Amino acid sequence: MRKKLKKLLTNDNIFLELEADSKETIIEELIDRLVGCGKIKNREAVMKAVLEREKKMSTGMENGIAIPHGKTDSVNQLVVAIARKKEGVDFNSIDKQSSTIFVMTISPLSRSGPHLQFLAEVSKLLKDSRAREKFLTAKTTEEVIKIFI
Amino acid sequence: MYRRCVFMVLFLVLPVVSASASGQESGRDMGHLMTILVLQLAVIVIAVRFFGLIFSRYLKQSKVLGELVAGMVIGPYALGSFSLPFLNQPLFPRIESVLPVSTELYGLAVVASIVLLFLAGLETDLPTFLKFSRIGSLVGIGGVILSFFLGDMIAVLLLPGVDSFMSPVALFLGTLSTATSVGITARILSEKRKLSSPEGVTILAGAVLDDVLGIIILAVVVGISKIGASGGEIYWGKIGIIALKAFGFWLICTVLGILFAKKISKKLKWFKSNEAIAGVVLGLALFLAGLAEMAGLAMIIGAYIVGLSFSQTDMANELQERLQGVYQFLVPVFFCVMGMMVNFSALKGIIVFGIIYTACAILGKIVGCGIPAYFSGFNLKGSFRIGAGMLPRGEVTLIVAGIGLSAGAIGQDMFGIAIMTLLIASIIAPPLLIKSFEGGTGLRDKKLIKEEEKGFCLKIKFPSVYITDFIRSRILQAFQNEDFFVHRLNLDRLIYHIKKENICITLVQENKGIELTTDSDNKQLANLIVAEEILELKDLLEGVEKLESPDGMWEKLTAGLFGEEKE
Repeated sequence: MRKKLKKLLTNDNIFLELEADSKETIIEELIDRLVGCGKIKNREAVMKAVLEREKKMSTGMENGIAIPHGKTDSVNQLVVAIARKKEGVDFNSIDKQSSTIFVMTISPLSRSGPHLQFLAEVSKLLKDSRAREKFLTAKTTEEVIKIFI
Repeated sequence: MYRRCVFMVLFLVLPVVSASASGQESGRDMGHLMTILVLQLAVIVIAVRFFGLIFSRYLKQSKVLGELVAGMVIGPYALGSFSLPFLNQPLFPRIESVLPVSTELYGLAVVASIVLLFLAGLETDLPTFLKFSRIGSLVGIGGVILSFFLGDMIAVLLLPGVDSFMSPVALFLGTLSTATSVGITARILSEKRKLSSPEGVTILAGAVLDDVLGIIILAVVVGISKIGASGGEIYWGKIGIIALKAFGFWLICTVLGILFAKKISKKLKWFKSNEAIAGVVLGLALFLAGLAEMAGLAMIIGAYIVGLSFSQTDMANELQERLQGVYQFLVPVFFCVMGMMVNFSALKGIIVFGIIYTACAILGKIVGCGIPAYFSGFNLKGSFRIGAGMLPRGEVTLIVAGIGLSAGAIGQDMFGIAIMTLLIASIIAPPLLIKSFEGGTGLRDKKLIKEEEKGFCLKIKFPSVYITDFIRSRILQAFQNEDFFVHRLNLDRLIYHIKKENICITLVQENKGIELTTDSDNKQLANLIVAEEILELKDLLEGVEKLESPDGMWEKLTAGLFGEEKE
């Protein structure tokens, strides 16, 4: 899985400072940035998939981590993004803390692949407070990649 | 599908049987010969089911033991020897040769043993073996060496006329006490959920090496007995050549098999039919079995190597499932035919020897496997568990005994002793194993204890069995969507192995509860997958609530069920 992480995480899909300041706008900004770098073609379909999943249950986890994700056939392979917002936003998280680290995955509905395994792997790494600290203080995307690989 | 597989095997077997029959029995009427064979098969197929059921349902024993006993009861030394009026002869006439059953029936048992060992190879958990190869190898080698030595020594000390460790009888008795059949142990451990415990994986890894060593020893012993039978002198140089040949054949074929099985399986996908692929792979197993025999080794070696090679491909589970029908039909016939060869009168004079030999075979495994386990970080309890887990005997013992009998290396008395050992060891192993797993940890090494404690278990209860069934099937599907291989371990219970690379998760459903066990490293993945599926369930229930009047729908669908049709 580490090899897969190396392949999936590039300078294109790590965003060190998000501008949005609410749950919906954070999701929107992440998707827009992925559209901007050509990883997503159908913005609306992806938006719908992620928001539908959020409606079922918020993906705000503990320790400032949120994992918005969705499934749609408008992508034909796993698309990921890792981002941060140091000030934090309310993501209806389990521990009621504001979220600062966002891990987004968009996976195709009809194709198998290690989609949740990617989320699990990232969350396993971010369980460590030192890794979270490193991520929050990283100055470049290369530094972030080093944390995960 | 199963029926097609059975026909496929009959198609393979019958011409061989007929050809051998036509060669050897040229004077006899082929029609009569085939009629007897078919009638024998009919009785065998029904008897093994009947005895298998009695043993599993009422005596709480393995079906295999029932199948063996079925052979003893209906065979040429018991009921089978009575003349039947409509045949004017017994159904299982005693053949005055080294084997008391007909060549045709024995031929079928040989094909069954090839299928059995091919599937045993296919089920081999090579990654687990490699992961625990150090401790597994020590346990396997320890058990094999001590039990071989004890078996051989007892023969030299107690059997009249056997005065050398190299005598074929002593060598066969040594080989007979080495083979472990881990099937019974695996079933008990999976039921007790101890399959992935340190003791469980050590037993499974040890059993892989045990099989390989047992088969290589068999090849050497067969070679030595062949020289002995042809009047040749046996000296260490010759033994070395035979051992080298056996090990060389094993090593070269296994390495080539593992290297090429993935490529072959890719090519086989050209058939676009899993049934055709299963047929071709079975054909390969039969082919290599023949080659092994031509090389002076035992047929089962070839079959086992093909199975082991394909166990590493992504079609391993599919092959197992497709060949289940062949297995279900043929393998009980094999055990039954082996049971038929037990001559009770030959056992009379050597029953005390049999008991001593059995005790030594049991001791050889418990001590031989226990000592290396103790020095690898297990405490006395854990070492005993491992020894007890390696106790059950099965197919390899029977095949070795059958080969020894057909080669004339052992007589019917020693064949009977082999079956006696198998029955006693397999009957006492399950309660011993269950009892031994009571109580605390079997580990002594603090590092290993820490690792054991690292395990993660997720238990969830649901309000009804229907919901639990739904969630279980969704969880398994979700793992498959993540490219995991899901394999149901036990047909009687809902136990699944979920595997991908070095991740192994066990899922057990018990009534309204689901339990996932894995390394704590995989906790996040297990939690995420289950959480997502519970959300799906929530979605489904909300969807049901949104149904437009379920009561109205029910009324609409059932209206007129009992009413008269209007013209």
